[in-house]
Amino acid sequence: MGEVVGLLARWVHLASSILVVGGAALLLLAGPSDRPTARRWECWTLSTCRGLVLLALISALVTIAAQTAVLEGRAGAAFEPAALARLLTQTQGGAVWLVRGGLLVLLAAFLVVRAELRDRTDWRALRGQVVLLGLLVLGLLAGAGHAAAVEPGAAAALTADVVHLAAGGLWVGGLPALALLLWLAARRAGADARPYAVLAARRFSRLALALVIVLAASGLWSAWIQIASVAGLLGTRHGQLLLVKLVAFAAMLALALLNRRVIPKLAGDAATVGRPAMRRLSRFVAAEAALALVVLAVVAAMTVTPPARHEQPTWPLSYRLTFDNLVAAPDFRAQVLVGSQVAVIGLVALLASLALRRLRLPVLAGGAVVLVAGVAIAVPPLVSDAYPTTYRRPDVPYQAASIGAGMALFGEHCAVCHGPRAAGDGPAAATLQPRPPDLRAHHVALHTAGDIFWWITHGRPPMPAFGDRLDPDARWHLVNYLRALGAADASRLLGPTIEPEQPWLVAPDFTFTVGPEYSRSLKDYRGRRIVLLVLYTLPASRARLVELAEAYGSLATLEVEVVAVPADAATDAIRRLGERPPILYPVVTDGARDIVDTYRLFSPAPHAEFLIDRQGYLRAIVTATGDPRRDPALLLAEAERLNDEKAAPPPPAEHVH
Amino acid sequence: MRLWRVILLVDLALALGLGAGYLWWGQQARRLAAELETARATAAVTAGGEREFHATGVVRAGLPDLGVVVITHGEIPGYMPPMTMGFRAGAPNILDSVKPGDAVRFTLRGTPPNLAITAIDKTAP
Repeated sequence: MGEVVGLLARWVHLASSILVVGGAALLLLAGPSDRPTARRWECWTLSTCRGLVLLALISALVTIAAQTAVLEGRAGAAFEPAALARLLTQTQGGAVWLVRGGLLVLLAAFLVVRAELRDRTDWRALRGQVVLLGLLVLGLLAGAGHAAAVEPGAAAALTADVVHLAAGGLWVGGLPALALLLWLAARRAGADARPYAVLAARRFSRLALALVIVLAASGLWSAWIQIASVAGLLGTRHGQLLLVKLVAFAAMLALALLNRRVIPKLAGDAATVGRPAMRRLSRFVAAEAALALVVLAVVAAMTVTPPARHEQPTWPLSYRLTFDNLVAAPDFRAQVLVGSQVAVIGLVALLASLALRRLRLPVLAGGAVVLVAGVAIAVPPLVSDAYPTTYRRPDVPYQAASIGAGMALFGEHCAVCHGPRAAGDGPAAATLQPRPPDLRAHHVALHTAGDIFWWITHGRPPMPAFGDRLDPDARWHLVNYLRALGAADASRLLGPTIEPEQPWLVAPDFTFTVGPEYSRSLKDYRGRRIVLLVLYTLPASRARLVELAEAYGSLATLEVEVVAVPADAATDAIRRLGERPPILYPVVTDGARDIVDTYRLFSPAPHAEFLIDRQGYLRAIVTATGDPRRDPALLLAEAERLNDEKAAPPPPAEHVH
Repeated sequence: MRLWRVILLVDLALALGLGAGYLWWGQQARRLAAELETARATAAVTAGGEREFHATGVVRAGLPDLGVVVITHGEIPGYMPPMTMGFRAGAPNILDSVKPGDAVRFTLRGTPPNLAITAIDKTAP
């Protein structure tokens, strides 16, 4: 109930603010006139604006009350002055609403002023002032919306939103006023204002074209920030609302295009010619305005739904398009390439047909056919099965603890068919048709984490469903284990030296403890230190650990932290290393088990060193079966090369394949 | 006075008011952050007198030549976050009483940042 009231209030507020801006802007655009019908139109528009400002103020109050109830978590708060005051004075959104309220009152004052407007400068100043204040009121709305909460880059998001609101206000808000003017002028008694109406319609039409382009560009920009992915667009409430908005917007555009073609027909001797056209135009513009109200209702709904980037998408289709398919099946590359070129030719023909005068239809039809054919050739190889969870971000992060848990679960539930090392060679594998695949192979990386989660949950014949046997966290552990297997397979491409500027394999995060309280995770080093993770076995590794301890000063200068993990996960690892020479880098005493389990997938050697860069990418692996000693200068050189790199963007927090 | 001049004046006043309000808002936020910072700093070095801290950790090395024990320690409440660092031993027997790998509870005493370990005990093996 409260939510519906809040939504309605937002809609009314947005619509009334926009209509005030647009109405005043159209008055300014049309200019002053002394024709009686034009005067009457101006009078009507102004009094409507006054009513709308009042409506905007009332709906603002209701919105704030509803928002207070939401924030305080109880409906009663909407009627408590203290709670309302808290919202208005102690939150940024509240402050913005407060300022907007003040500006609306000021705006009302300028709408009430009844000066003798014989002077055109005064007239323009007064109408312009209403537009200016209206735009300010409208633009500030961005400061209380989703855009203000974007972190980092709030400035860009706010700019996009302000521009979008302003352009929307000027275009959409002007439509009802224009419809009214055209209707008045199309009447028998309105003949005196007909040239004025035609002039206004022409000016508005020209402005509208520019505004629509601005709207589309700023809308695209906002969508890029708030939605950012096809999955977000199709799979979240926010994205779906945007699709509804786009459909309504497309209908508006179609009407607008029709209307543009009518405008030239309005020309002629104004007293008689063009009346039917004008009446029709008035109706069409009114229809456009009605559609705009629908768009605004959707916008109001979007402001109260969490933006798509914060939501888990539920993919609505049973397929998706992905270029990853071409990695697995390179034969199809030529087909996709040819198809896409054909499609581009079709698209060019379509666009060219718009510029043609003769042969427009044949070129248009031909272009469409070629475009469809190109798409039909290019798309099928890209189609992949998809499930509702396909684009779901894992609930459990890609961490050694989860991978270790997944490994144990795998042994318990999966190994009987998939084999103890996931090679597809379990004892029961021979009885199955089709045979379980080798899960270590690269093709596993072609599926998203969400795909694998879906298969584990719902089964994939002959594999049974595990949704009722394992809780979701356990299933995510399994997914993380499989992802680690895939990463381990890919890591065979990594050598003992780094490939400059080529980070691509994310090192699984891990948490470790040194002694009783000192606890850290790999992520804590992100952006700060290069990490050399050393899995060691005593006594063979001792010499190397001493070597590293002696070089620790130089390593620290190059911002390298060494994290030593005993392969036997001994809790008295520090004691076992002895007193001389002192080893001062972190030696893991708790959490070693999971780290060893996970990183052994990458290298089973008794002594292995993993060089992880500041962004958390695994860059080099050094393994040793015999004496692991190695000139520390080599490591220092690698660290220097990493330090010389331009910082790569950090991997996404929820890394998927 | 002509109306457009009035409007211009109102707009100027409005721009000044909004600008000042915006700046005040930013200033307010910065002032609060600065206050918090100084409050933390003063809390850390209360009146600069001698203080005592208790912490736990694990001994990494003893450096008798320097008279220092290196300890990987947990948070020392009111003084420093978890880290590995050397602490001056307040008495020679402190160095002898612990070995690398020992989990310890220790007491620091002195005027920050001049602290020394005055007591150290092994906790559970």
